[in-house]
Amino acid sequence: MTGAAQISAVGLGKAFGRREVLHDVSFTVRRGGFLALFGPNGAGKTTTLRLVATLLRPSSGSVTLAGRDPRDEPAAVRRAIGFLSHNPLLYRDLTAQENLRFYADMYGVAEPAARIDELLDRVELRHRRHDVVATLSRGMVQRLAIARALLHRPAVLLLDEPHAGLDAHAAALLDGLLAEIRDEHTFVMATHDVRRGLELADQVLVLDGGRVALQRDGRLEPGDLADVYPEHAGLGARA
Amino acid sequence: MGFRQYRALVRKDLLSELRTRETVVAMFLFVVLAMVVFHYAFTATGGGALSFYTGGMLWVVFVFGALLGLNRSFAHEKDEGVLDGLLLCPVDRVTIFLAKMTGNLIFLGLIQVVAVPVFALFFAPHGMLAHLAALLVLIALADLGIAALGTLLATIAMQTRARDLLLPIVFLPLVIPLVIAAASATGALLSGGAGAPGVLGRLLFLLVYDGVFLVLAYGTYDVAIGE
Repeated sequence: MTGAAQISAVGLGKAFGRREVLHDVSFTVRRGGFLALFGPNGAGKTTTLRLVATLLRPSSGSVTLAGRDPRDEPAAVRRAIGFLSHNPLLYRDLTAQENLRFYADMYGVAEPAARIDELLDRVELRHRRHDVVATLSRGMVQRLAIARALLHRPAVLLLDEPHAGLDAHAAALLDGLLAEIRDEHTFVMATHDVRRGLELADQVLVLDGGRVALQRDGRLEPGDLADVYPEHAGLGARA
Repeated sequence: MGFRQYRALVRKDLLSELRTRETVVAMFLFVVLAMVVFHYAFTATGGGALSFYTGGMLWVVFVFGALLGLNRSFAHEKDEGVLDGLLLCPVDRVTIFLAKMTGNLIFLGLIQVVAVPVFALFFAPHGMLAHLAALLVLIALADLGIAALGTLLATIAMQTRARDLLLPIVFLPLVIPLVIAAASATGALLSGGAGAPGVLGRLLFLLVYDGVFLVLAYGTYDVAIGE
């Protein structure tokens, strides 16, 4: 909780044409910190993650990673980011191993074969390494996506609804992996799963309509979100 | 790291194509069928003065065949939602362009390996082998221009919903100068050899054309591939 700022967003805004989807969002995530992003659909969670990931350019404000601005050092910033969403970002016609090898080369991973073996073991997919992704189950694909996101040992992991579409076993495996690597990375996770998010997070940001509705540091309970996010805090319908 | 990324991108595209055979088979079938149609259409009435048209026929077939491949340049990235994965990588956008262009060049070259002998069989039975080296230089220069322009425009078209329609509409007008130069140079080569008047000038034009679109892609690709 006392580390230096790993992610710093200042006055972040994003508009698509005339439609403003994010307005003046600022937050700081300390090194080793875990920020949970909550909010209803369309609140701006995914846009915020995509701005941090350099997949979108901000219309206003800025984001820096460990003091690095992606406008000045895009490659260095991208190398520091691992991105995991419900979209696995894997080529369906390539095997599990070929996908990881491709990303290892793209990120310049040293000793890629050993790293790929290590990660395939970790996500329990070594026995399916030569199978094309199109033949894997949804849970297996998401486990492979976890391996892809961790492949280059990123300092920051951005998680966008990572549990979406997973069965209980795959979700439990993902939870176990997140708990295992909790101290190795800085996290930002957008999720509708308040209990799961609060278990992991030491910072919370609730967005609504592209604006900050609540911002708190420290561990929170679902009830703490009652005023701004009651339908997902398990406290009844919103007034 | 640039070359390692370039190699990984090219290998990935080739591997995907090897596994699905979606692009090359369609390009190959189109090119061979078009030549068969041209053969019967032009020889039905005796085929008089056919050599005047052969250069044009060859390059019209190659350009439309290439268009099939160009339309598929980013098919895996867009259809499978992997473009974000590519854009997240710490890779210079120009490296992505060069790798995609290389893939398009390889696919076009592969169909030409089959198509040129078919062309020789149907339309240029005499003297073509004698000018093969010059013809290969001409094909290489024209292919580079098609791939450079096509890859840049395919990237821009990919961002739109009507990408399959948009690419031909923007590609064909811009490729006309290349087709004119390549077709007239091919005709001159086949009738008069490498030393025929106008061949060198047209080859130089193709070189400049290639340079213009390579420089344009280098300068604009970061914007072309989007946020």
